[in-house]
Amino acid sequence: MKQLHTDVVVIGGGSTGIGVLRDCAMRGYRTILLDRADLGQGTSGRFHGLLHSGGRYVVSDPESARECASENAIITRIQPDAIECTGGLFVTAPGDNPAFGDRFATGAIEASMPCEEITIAAALKQEPRLNPGITRAFSVMDGTVDGWQLVWTAAQSAKEYGGQVLTYHKVSKVHHSNGAVTSVTATDLKTGEQVNIECSFILNCAGPWAGQITEMAGLPPVAVVPGRGIMVAMSHRLVNTVVNRCIYPEDGDIIVPVHTVCIIGTTDVKVDEPDHLGIPRNEVQQMLDAGEILIPGFRQARALHAWAGARPLIKDDRVAASDTRHMSRGMAVIDHSTRDDLKGLMTIGGGKLTTYRLMAQHIVDAMEEQLGQTHPCRTAEEICPGNIAGRNYLITHRLKDREDDRTQSPIICECELMNRAMFVDLLKQYPNASFDDLRRQLRVGMGPCQGGFCSSRIAGIAHEEGVVDADRATGLLKLFLEHRWIGLWTILHGDQVRQTALDNWILQGTLDLAHAPATNAVEPDPITTGRPRVNGNTQPTEASQLLGGPETIDASIGNPGEEG
Amino acid sequence: MIDTIVIGAGLGGLSAATRLAQRGQSVTLLTFGMGGVQLGQGTVDVLGYVNDRLIDRPFDGLDRLPRDHPYSKFELRTVTQALDWLSDLLPNIFRPGPIRNRLVPTALGVMRPTYLIQESMHWPNPATAAVVGPRQIKDFYPELMAANLEKTTNAKATGYHIDLPARPGEVDSNPVTYAKALDNPDFLAGFINAIDAVLGNEDAICVPAILGLTTNVHEQMVTALGCPVIEVLMPPPSIPGMRVNNEMTAIAQSLGVEIIMGSKVTGFSASGSHLECVTLHQAGRNQSYCADNFVYAGGGFESGSLAMDSYGKVSETLFNLPLVGCDDENLITGDYWADQKLFAVGVDVDESMRPISPEGVIFDNLYAVGGLLAGAQRWTEKSGDGIALVSAYRAVNSILGLVSSGKEAGDG
Repeated sequence: MKQLHTDVVVIGGGSTGIGVLRDCAMRGYRTILLDRADLGQGTSGRFHGLLHSGGRYVVSDPESARECASENAIITRIQPDAIECTGGLFVTAPGDNPAFGDRFATGAIEASMPCEEITIAAALKQEPRLNPGITRAFSVMDGTVDGWQLVWTAAQSAKEYGGQVLTYHKVSKVHHSNGAVTSVTATDLKTGEQVNIECSFILNCAGPWAGQITEMAGLPPVAVVPGRGIMVAMSHRLVNTVVNRCIYPEDGDIIVPVHTVCIIGTTDVKVDEPDHLGIPRNEVQQMLDAGEILIPGFRQARALHAWAGARPLIKDDRVAASDTRHMSRGMAVIDHSTRDDLKGLMTIGGGKLTTYRLMAQHIVDAMEEQLGQTHPCRTAEEICPGNIAGRNYLITHRLKDREDDRTQSPIICECELMNRAMFVDLLKQYPNASFDDLRRQLRVGMGPCQGGFCSSRIAGIAHEEGVVDADRATGLLKLFLEHRWIGLWTILHGDQVRQTALDNWILQGTLDLAHAPATNAVEPDPITTGRPRVNGNTQPTEASQLLGGPETIDASIGNPGEEG
Repeated sequence: MIDTIVIGAGLGGLSAATRLAQRGQSVTLLTFGMGGVQLGQGTVDVLGYVNDRLIDRPFDGLDRLPRDHPYSKFELRTVTQALDWLSDLLPNIFRPGPIRNRLVPTALGVMRPTYLIQESMHWPNPATAAVVGPRQIKDFYPELMAANLEKTTNAKATGYHIDLPARPGEVDSNPVTYAKALDNPDFLAGFINAIDAVLGNEDAICVPAILGLTTNVHEQMVTALGCPVIEVLMPPPSIPGMRVNNEMTAIAQSLGVEIIMGSKVTGFSASGSHLECVTLHQAGRNQSYCADNFVYAGGGFESGSLAMDSYGKVSETLFNLPLVGCDDENLITGDYWADQKLFAVGVDVDESMRPISPEGVIFDNLYAVGGLLAGAQRWTEKSGDGIALVSAYRAVNSILGLVSSGKEAGDG
């Protein structure tokens, strides 16, 4: 078994865990982060992409609103590449109570949140597709955030301070003796190797999976109530500003423009565990109906993809367990030295992506308190590497980049403007990556064609570059398309049916992909379909075999129906 | 006066228009798009797979199909007559061969069954094969194809690249750019030299399907390189498909078929169950086109003639024809590899290809052909071309009155 030594182990590679890794590393702790899958593959990659102004919570949860308002400004500054400053509108739709706007405006002042009521004419000029029947409109500082870009650039910052990231490492045991943690055992799912990491502190940032980690320490599980939310991405930016309904938060009341799409969210249904999130059709219909309220004709627009995420809410006795939206989103740090008489372990829950940095600061402060240390938190001060101060993401950046380098490298994914050089660079950094791992950073296959054209290209390139053999390249291609389908089939209608037919004509009709030889071809996500596949000369095997490891990866985490 | 209006310019529409014109009819073909032939693989599929079993003799496989399959509407002799008719129409394109499926390589190194192939696609069962392509083509990866070919054939295969931009400084060229460049003798000579320079001593050479649109690049390459050269099926735009499309369009036009492209048929007028005119939205206004008969070859879901709305309702978008196969609650499932029942939804027709409902024929002079027809999983079966061709042929027989006492007249 491989032995590692460190000061702090962070469990969970979502935004919170990465924020904690960065904070610990910047304060001088040797820190290793573990995730059983890729970075940002859980909740941080499965939300609607909203960087909250705080407006959503000014009435229902003023404390969260205040935190959002200040963290929004910080994140926009330190991770400009991940943030698009779209601005936001809160509009009173026909039938909504206009008086809520007064509570909203008052709450905004109390939360020190920039907010201005604008005329209906100004709102419609800004967003011409908005329902002309709206009765009030407030302009706020909402933005949009690419969760994967956010975690990867923060991870890069952490690495510069010596932080280590071990993805596809599944924790199996948290060891302790004499009332203090001693080490963590994990399995490298890509190689099958066991790793034992000696450490003096463990920060449990597993979000919806936090309870499973405390169980591995032999403690009573932290009661996390996963709330499932589904999101639907539409193929165009029907709005260029985040549009919220000015009501007490409910289902389907936000439309967020992110990259080339816009996303409507979300539902909120209590689920038993975060590994089995479906995308129920009735919830898709609910989202489309909600879209019609804000944008008449929404149902005629092209729906591209759907996904489900699990809210990492800590159980709170103040509200009924079935109503997860109204639990406190205020982050909660659980100190297991007081809860369970175990030193060196803390769990963080609640919160939201917008406040990930602040959550990290809180738990690292709490850790230092237990350790009797005080180092200043500097995460709000320093811009993440690769980012340029004040140069926030714009949808046109990639177009400009491709115009600049189009004679150097062919465009492999036309929808998302990813060229060959971008793909090859990342592939060589992460030679064990699946195409979905690469997609989360490059967005390949996330546009209108959903991989119809680019997927066979990336298989050819990965093989040509000598990174994978033909068997794995072909298997990864099949797996990629299976995973795209998870987020497609429940929303398939309109022009996306037409696209799917074209994609099938190309991949199945012309290229006959189903009969391409790949001994490691995999079964589709058992959560979604519930049954394995035998097709042509492919054999159903475990997903982990394709990933090169002996252990089965939990299918939900390995098989995302993620954004776009 | 127009005898017959054909809607759609895919294989079904072009075949129907051409054969009607051959028989002396005045034909107008209305099409919004450029037709699907240029997106396909440039061969003619009849039936390649049934329940994922490879079909060797496609005509023997037809009776294994379920009763609601489009092929069940045709007599076997209609199928063979239609294929003979097309082969005779395009003698310079399709290679004569035995009445069996041929296996031709795709860019993924799969040996794909199809029926009528172009001469350049013939797989000669070489002991060794080179797979060669220009780096500047992004839909062709010689090494991956070669590696997969070694598993799907007996050949020992090796991948090679050449570095030959179709236009100076261009790193991202599509097959049309190369095909046009290769129609130029100087570029072709350079292409052959570049390939010759990288080859080992292989028995045959696989190249991407870019071998020219107007000249016989393939023949010249075989002569120059002294061994079989195989054009490999690629994603669209399809050069082999364009050859078929260009040739068929030229023949149709030479026979007097008027082709109106780029305008959409948006409506129709009928007197009872007799269709009188269709409305073409043309140059900003609606124009009526009237005829004695109408062949509707608008295609399936990929072309928008069939559509599903956000509530899951499936419809035929021009005549609102009744559809079959859409009552199933699970038209789409989460299994990517399963045939989705949605894509078998379509129009039911009588033996003469007229759309029907349980109450009878919808219009006595409307014939539906090709991708509109219900009951086939075309891309998995590899059956789309054959269904389009034979249904068009059958519809023309009906229009021309070539059907008598259950026997059909052919062209022979």
